Amino acid sequence: MANIIEVKHLTYRYQADDPRPALDDVSFDVHAGEWLAIVGHNGSGKSTLAKSLDGLLPFTTGEVTVGGIQLTPETVWQVREKIGMIFQNPDNQFVGATVADDVAFGLENRQIPREEMVPRVEAAMAQVGMADFAHREPSSLSGGQKQRVALAGIVAIAPDVLILDEATSMLDPQGRRDMLNLVRQLRAERHLTVISITHDIDEAAGADRVLVIDDGRLVDEADPATIFARGDQLIKLGLDLPFTAKLKTALRQRGIEPPATYQTASEMEEWLWQSLSNT
Amino acid sequence: MAITFEHVSYTYQAGTPMATPAVTDVSFQMPDHGYLAIIGHTGSGKSTLIQQLNALLKPTSGQITVGDFTITPKTTNAALKPLRQHVGMVFQFPESQLFEETVRQDIAFGPQNFGMGETDANKLADAMLQTVGLDSSYAERSPFELSGGQMRRVAIAGVLAMRPKVLVLDEPTAGLDPQGRQEMMALFDRLHREQGLSVVLVTHQMEDVAQYAEQVAVMRAGKLVKFGTPHDVFRDAAWLQANQLDMPRAAQFAQKLAARGVTWQQLPLTAEQLADQLAERWPREGDAHV
Repeated sequence: MANIIEVKHLTYRYQADDPRPALDDVSFDVHAGEWLAIVGHNGSGKSTLAKSLDGLLPFTTGEVTVGGIQLTPETVWQVREKIGMIFQNPDNQFVGATVADDVAFGLENRQIPREEMVPRVEAAMAQVGMADFAHREPSSLSGGQKQRVALAGIVAIAPDVLILDEATSMLDPQGRRDMLNLVRQLRAERHLTVISITHDIDEAAGADRVLVIDDGRLVDEADPATIFARGDQLIKLGLDLPFTAKLKTALRQRGIEPPATYQTASEMEEWLWQSLSNT
Repeated sequence: MAITFEHVSYTYQAGTPMATPAVTDVSFQMPDHGYLAIIGHTGSGKSTLIQQLNALLKPTSGQITVGDFTITPKTTNAALKPLRQHVGMVFQFPESQLFEETVRQDIAFGPQNFGMGETDANKLADAMLQTVGLDSSYAERSPFELSGGQMRRVAIAGVLAMRPKVLVLDEPTAGLDPQGRQEMMALFDRLHREQGLSVVLVTHQMEDVAQYAEQVAVMRAGKLVKFGTPHDVFRDAAWLQANQLDMPRAAQFAQKLAARGVTWQQLPLTAEQLADQLAERWPREGDAHV
């Protein structure tokens, strides 16, 4: 699979004399069309990494290539054309007075002619289920609705890569599920590459691959099942334990030895049923 | 402090054409040293309800008692100052309310405002810092150079420094990472068990409700639609689904096994409860194979 993003030996310090860099010699590739989850506890450097990819933090050491373009101060705008980002707090990213204005902002910046812009904005709002809210003030929306508007803004500019920087962490469970379903749907329809920076175990479980960042370094890279089999270490990695891992720990404390590999809920249900029936 | 709501209603901008009822005819009782979780969708009236607890909002009709205090629509603000000292409110993202130059000054602000001398207030601040799990090296630092999770602890220490008897928490773990969330919930649990603090928790996290709450209030469209123990609330899967509320993971899991014929004495709500019941019926080596 072709790489849409290549990161080589990326190091970043917030201040030139920081003894401990926020990112320390990080290298990885992102395959076109994949869903990549980046996990790590608060302060591990994962948001710094996301911002570096978009040229929001000018790193001095290393190399980032997005869609074949090497990120430099000269190419930063070309690179940003290819990446859409949604941040944690929906209130911090609104610029428009109405939902429609806000969705149009990215297109206005790109000087898209009005006759092309209007239908694109409408289509984007419809896609995220916010067409009825076009003339509402963004501040009157719920958190989940705000994140959907942010997503519409990204749909409108049709980037190749979508970065979610803890974009669901402030939503209620229903809002979180709706948002992830929407992203999944967009990804399938538009062949988006998705990078999600998250603590949410369900969000990470849906990824093709998980990168683990700790203390500014890339410490692990595997598919979700392999990562989830790490058991109690997951807490240190900034993730919650999957329910099956919690249940296994509780069973072990009661003298019952479950299989060591990661089991999905239905696999574990099957195993428990088999064991209980085996009398 | 015991809390009683009797037919409490609250309408925003009451008596104007803009009047919006937010809470309608809510009645319940919570015993002294209780732990109540309030759940319900965004906009169901949870936040309006808890703002009545220290009379930030006074009921439009009905009556609230908190310990010896009674709040009615006519209660004057002057009569409420002592109540506010007893009811500590931790709002969403409390770290946004930090303002002092040092962590110690920020925590000591509340007690000083209620008449405590500076020396005593500073001593209290240092003790509270320890309670929330930060060592004394943080006392002289600016609250604004701390991490988000640390700032939230400082804000909570500031509330605890008022020595409240009731702690009201509005989604206190929103935005924290799983470890931070767990530590925060363990802290409230400890304050509840060791110091007898009454806790009122507004949350979307059903796992926390299952693990910590003694009573659960379910709000929908401003009305209290269910009130009882976590078991009372979570045992009715059809009702939960109709109200778009999640079941705790352990209960979901137990129900799947129930569908295959496993019977539970009581629906397990946490991994621990589920493991207990599984262990009881686990086939042991040496058991006769039929």
